[in-house]
Amino acid sequence: MLVTWRYRKRKSLIQGFDPRAWVIFYVCFLASSLLFWDLRFLTPLLIIALMAIFTSGITWRETYRTWLFIGGFITFFTVLTFLTGRGGMEHYAEEHTITSLSAPFEILGWRPTLDVTVERIVYAVSQLVRVFSVSSMTVLIPYTLNPEHYGITFRGLGLPDKIAYAMELTMRFIPTFARDFQLTMDAQRARGYEIEKLRGGLIAQVRKLAPLIVPVTIHAIAGSEDIIDAMDLRAFGVGPRMWLEQLHYRRRDYVLTGAAVLLFAASLAFSLLGYERLWIPDWALAWAGK
Amino acid sequence: MDRRLISVIVALVAVLIIFVLVSLIGGALNENLKLEAVGLLRFAFTGIGLVIVFIIYWLTRTSGAWDVGTREVVYMAIGAALYAVFSYLFNGTVFAVPSVSQVALRPAIAIPMFFGYTFGPTVGFFTGAVGNMFGDALTGFSLSPQWSVGNGLVGMIAGMVALFADKKKSMNTVLIISAVLAAIATIIYALNPALENMMFFDVDAGIFGDAQITLFAGLSVVIGFLLVLIVRFAFGKNVDVAAAVMWSMLGNLIGIGFAAISDIWVNGFSPAVAIVGEFLPAAGPNLIFAAILVPILVAAYAAAQQQTGR
Repeated sequence: MLVTWRYRKRKSLIQGFDPRAWVIFYVCFLASSLLFWDLRFLTPLLIIALMAIFTSGITWRETYRTWLFIGGFITFFTVLTFLTGRGGMEHYAEEHTITSLSAPFEILGWRPTLDVTVERIVYAVSQLVRVFSVSSMTVLIPYTLNPEHYGITFRGLGLPDKIAYAMELTMRFIPTFARDFQLTMDAQRARGYEIEKLRGGLIAQVRKLAPLIVPVTIHAIAGSEDIIDAMDLRAFGVGPRMWLEQLHYRRRDYVLTGAAVLLFAASLAFSLLGYERLWIPDWALAWAGK
Repeated sequence: MDRRLISVIVALVAVLIIFVLVSLIGGALNENLKLEAVGLLRFAFTGIGLVIVFIIYWLTRTSGAWDVGTREVVYMAIGAALYAVFSYLFNGTVFAVPSVSQVALRPAIAIPMFFGYTFGPTVGFFTGAVGNMFGDALTGFSLSPQWSVGNGLVGMIAGMVALFADKKKSMNTVLIISAVLAAIATIIYALNPALENMMFFDVDAGIFGDAQITLFAGLSVVIGFLLVLIVRFAFGKNVDVAAAVMWSMLGNLIGIGFAAISDIWVNGFSPAVAIVGEFLPAAGPNLIFAAILVPILVAAYAAAQQQTGR
């Protein structure tokens, strides 16, 4: 049985567009934000992402687990890079210390010290903004893209029929297999298997993952026979495919596609002009200098 | 050549030309532009990887191995979805994944290897490339398209066994190529044993590439290679299992090698760092999965096939 993503029909900005136009926009957005570490360019991208979220019509109740997961994940990584100051090393050469906090105690002769520097703060904020924009735009996709339109969307973007259909099936299978994995894990736990307590050497640990991976994989392959039969009975792949759903580009979709291409072209141009690196504001440096 | 093929070739060549032009013009606009670390290069390497895939396909197109029927379409989707789900679950945030001596384990890599070997190179490539893409999207990490293509190559090369009429003979070719690749990587390690392990995520410090590579991680490709050889000869009678581990090994060495080498330009690593800091700690442990999980999957699938009579 297939499990579905939580899509439903909503009156919203995203769902007002043709899914093809939205996917093009998403890809351009993603590519653009990956080019930059400069806050001046990441902020407009963040604003676009926030606009998309707040107009999406998705309620907090529907998505709070996802947001909490992403929020926790991003905060965890940002705090860690901030505390250690190592993740940004490839982005800046020198650090301007604002203040240095040192702990009032010593552990085995070592006093924990935290150097708060301009570069670390800016890097942490940039990272937060960058990862949040990318992941929040990604989260929106399963909630706002009609599962009935997956295949025709990829077909409309120029992929061949079979590949487009394979992409559609992939997106539909992901939540199903996640559920199957959970079921398998529960079943194995009932038999005394504990993934939290893998012991032994490297090879023994790897072998102990087999009771999870093998049943899920073989079950998926064996279960696919019904899908293959159903597709064969409908003469899949014999001739050019017709799709039940039709998509039509309207003027707003052309506008969105144009805006997406423009966004990417502008980002590319700015990144080639050298604005892609981490940007340290002068006023922050002046402030630290005091 | 039919028109469709020409248009594909023209599109790929156009992508390459655009990247060459952009890098030339970019250099003229901004002299300080250090092209080694430009995000744009990710996309260039994705293009180069796809060109490699296309050339391999073109040279062997007469073979039936690349055909895509209903079955293959469904297997592609299953493989990609499984790879995405497993890489999400075993990325270290959901479960604590076992790691031994700086070597984080990615059991999910067995999926593109197994699907490639069992269902052919097209299924393998789709499983690796699309699965990695969706897996990255689920995790919320930023995308590295050149790693998607690298993962695709793992599955595709594992599936190229289908191009050989005699699986047993094909293994000798694979053995020689893999031995040479593993030897080169290990020699580079022996010359630079003090480099940092870029793939190792230090949970205590919270960053990648903090610690010097351990001897175990440095020799992991050799260890993996020996493990694969043991499996190959222990299961010498079962040609399927032996061929599966051998081809998975070659796919892993070439696919991860492609991604690591592209990072010389994408992340501005020196060639030694790319090989020692990235290739060894990623490809070595993958070989351990190739040696252990892939044979189990092949055997389980053979049993399931016998039962259902398909």
